[in-house]
Amino acid sequence: MTSQPLGLNQALTPATAEHRKAFETKAFEILSQKFEAAMDPRDRWSLTAIVPGSRLRECVHFLRDDPAMRLDLLLDITAVDYLGYPGHDAARYAVVYNLRSQRFAAHRLRLKVWVEEEDPQVPSIHDFFEIANWQERETWDQYGIDFSGHPDLRRLLNHIEFTGHPLRKDYPVRKRQWLSTNDPLILPLEARLEANGFVVLEHVAVNSPSVEETDLLGKSAVEKINYVEKAK
Amino acid sequence: MKVQTPEGEHVDLLTVNIGPSHPATHGALRAFVALDGEIIRAASTEIGYLHRGFEKMVEQGTYQQVLPYTDRLNYCSAILNNIGFSHTVEKMFEVEVPERATTLRVLLSELSRLIDHQVCIAAAAVDLGALTNYWYLFNPREEVYSIWEKLSGARLTNAFTRIGGLYRDTYEGFETDVRDVLPKIEKGLDDAFKLLEHNRIFIDRTRGVCPITAEQAVSWGWTGPCLRATGVDRDLRKDDPYLSYETYDFQTVIGSTGDTYDRLLVRMYEMRESLSICRQALSRLKPGPVNTADARLSLPGHDKTYHDMEALINQFKLVYEGIRAPAGEFYGSIEAANGELGFFIVSDGTGKPWKIKVRPPCFTQFAAYADLVEGSLVADAIACLSSLNIIAGELDR
Amino acid sequence: MGAEATTATLATSAGSLEPPVGALHQDAGLNQTFMTTTIDAVVGWGRKNSLWPFTFGTACCAIEFMALAGSKFDIARFGAEFIRFSPRHSDLLVVAGTITYKQAPILRRIWEQMMEPRWVLSVGACASTGGFYDCYCTLPGIDEVIPVDVYVAGCPPRPEAYLDAIIQLQQKIQDASYMQDRQNRSHERIQIG
Repeated sequence: MTSQPLGLNQALTPATAEHRKAFETKAFEILSQKFEAAMDPRDRWSLTAIVPGSRLRECVHFLRDDPAMRLDLLLDITAVDYLGYPGHDAARYAVVYNLRSQRFAAHRLRLKVWVEEEDPQVPSIHDFFEIANWQERETWDQYGIDFSGHPDLRRLLNHIEFTGHPLRKDYPVRKRQWLSTNDPLILPLEARLEANGFVVLEHVAVNSPSVEETDLLGKSAVEKINYVEKAK
Repeated sequence: MKVQTPEGEHVDLLTVNIGPSHPATHGALRAFVALDGEIIRAASTEIGYLHRGFEKMVEQGTYQQVLPYTDRLNYCSAILNNIGFSHTVEKMFEVEVPERATTLRVLLSELSRLIDHQVCIAAAAVDLGALTNYWYLFNPREEVYSIWEKLSGARLTNAFTRIGGLYRDTYEGFETDVRDVLPKIEKGLDDAFKLLEHNRIFIDRTRGVCPITAEQAVSWGWTGPCLRATGVDRDLRKDDPYLSYETYDFQTVIGSTGDTYDRLLVRMYEMRESLSICRQALSRLKPGPVNTADARLSLPGHDKTYHDMEALINQFKLVYEGIRAPAGEFYGSIEAANGELGFFIVSDGTGKPWKIKVRPPCFTQFAAYADLVEGSLVADAIACLSSLNIIAGELDR
Repeated sequence: MGAEATTATLATSAGSLEPPVGALHQDAGLNQTFMTTTIDAVVGWGRKNSLWPFTFGTACCAIEFMALAGSKFDIARFGAEFIRFSPRHSDLLVVAGTITYKQAPILRRIWEQMMEPRWVLSVGACASTGGFYDCYCTLPGIDEVIPVDVYVAGCPPRPEAYLDAIIQLQQKIQDASYMQDRQNRSHERIQIG
């Protein structure tokens, strides 16, 4: 097994089951020593390390930058709602971080953070990975997990008048919600302009009648054809 | 919108919506941009216009019923998604499908990859105004559709694989048909090369447009042809081989600058490699079963079901209760046409999935879009968007 | 004219424009002359053979629409030589793909921007009924927000099914009476004014 991380333009040695096992053993040893990690028995095939939320940021930072780990590709952030899961004895939600390495082919691991129902909060890692921004937004949108420190936690897939978090197990699958008018997106655009060094002197003129009838947070407006009443 | 630039000037910016009712085939994406003349000073993107609730819907049915939903993720290369899902569930069972199924899956994967890249390149050229390529690349696609039709019954959304193998064995004449279609795809590709590769206008429109560095691309989570265009030599078929890809002889196609030109040309050269893999797979096709005999996954077959009580019960349970994946959490992935397509499956031991999260490759590409286009012209933004090959079905699920 | 949402049902109530008892349609007599039926036939013929589609393609059905625009199935022979990308230039709104609640206001706005005569083709299971995405985010059919002329079943429908739907739409257009519609519009104006 190569011990040195490879450059991005060098081909990797293909991963084998032995490499993966060796990595998982070593990784778990280090994580349990440094970050109070525990093995997740629910993952019977590979390594899922459960870390407390308070140690998450250091752990992710370490895994990304340590030369022996170099898990620099954040594949996915998602949450699992265990409400009703047979034999479940821990917190209701878990946020799962799926990491892989672009320097070592065999380095793959998942991190898991338990999140309580009463206070669903996890620290954000958007400054370590650019893609974490959108992945955390999606997790918030679908599950309602708050990522503290996230610069712009708003809905990603569902529309702005949507209330509730649809992937939670107690959200009825057929509960439909109408949208009366689209998000004008003016506030996020101004935020980006400001991040790029511009100063907004005069805000954008809204010409569309439907937008005039809406406040910028997208509260329900009545359009010419009022199809809001069709919501079942 | 009056703003003060970082240099202190007062400028009037025009705000324009690009999308979500968008020409060309990208469908349901929206970029709200602030323009200074033609230059984009800031962009704010919005997705979710095709959010159809894949994850919530799959929780309602059995594992087998997930397959048609996977078709509609990246609908340009439906069989690749089927293979990704079936392969992931089979790994949960630690079951290997028979050799014929493996070879056919490779063949179908590469054919799907070919038709996906054809759509991307054809649509990208149309976005730039080059209409002829559209027909050169779409006509061979029709030939592949005829093969899909004869094989699975559907042209576009096939649901051809099953957990444990394939829907059924190939029809008589399949190998001849595939052997005939490959030169047609190659001819279409060669015509597209002649029209695009050294075309002054194409190069001017795409060279140096919206480049990205390798480190940035990795931080944005890019995988697949868009990442390879930045010079990063990563391909899941080589790095973490599945379906015996290590026994095939092909090269990873790598770009250099990560601009739009590279992203499109990487796909075109990858099509050549895929054609080579198809030929290799065809030459090693041998008769055999296409479904595993494992009773946890595969239906027993009509003759056994009608004559043997246990087989009847097995069939009943598999269909009504679903394939019962072992309880636990598993992540499996393949190299789809856009990058690493992953499925994170949480199983509670019953036949209905507890949760299936799709890790879509083009999600990461579009997340970087706002950063990519800021500072470039509107026309460049369109060219960039088409080179990223965003399929809304996969992006929004 | 296409089937219209009857939000503007202004005509027909009281007054001298009420149809006589026993009349088959609004003004028995005016539309049954040789002149008006010939004009109807000519206008219908012109309209049905120059359908300019606006593809509101969101998902997989849009890929089949692209195949339709290819050489094998060729929608150009129906007069749709070039697919218009502006609702102002087109008269056939082809909704191909799933429409979500997020997309619904936009679909409505695009339809409103089209000028009459306009027709709507609802392509595929998702546009017609929501398809198999029976959940919190999918509009259960575009007829919740816009009126539809022809529904095309399939997931995705074959290009031949698309063409069959277009042929049925052409029949509908041919059968519609241009003179009658013109008269209805003038009645509406008289009532409002």
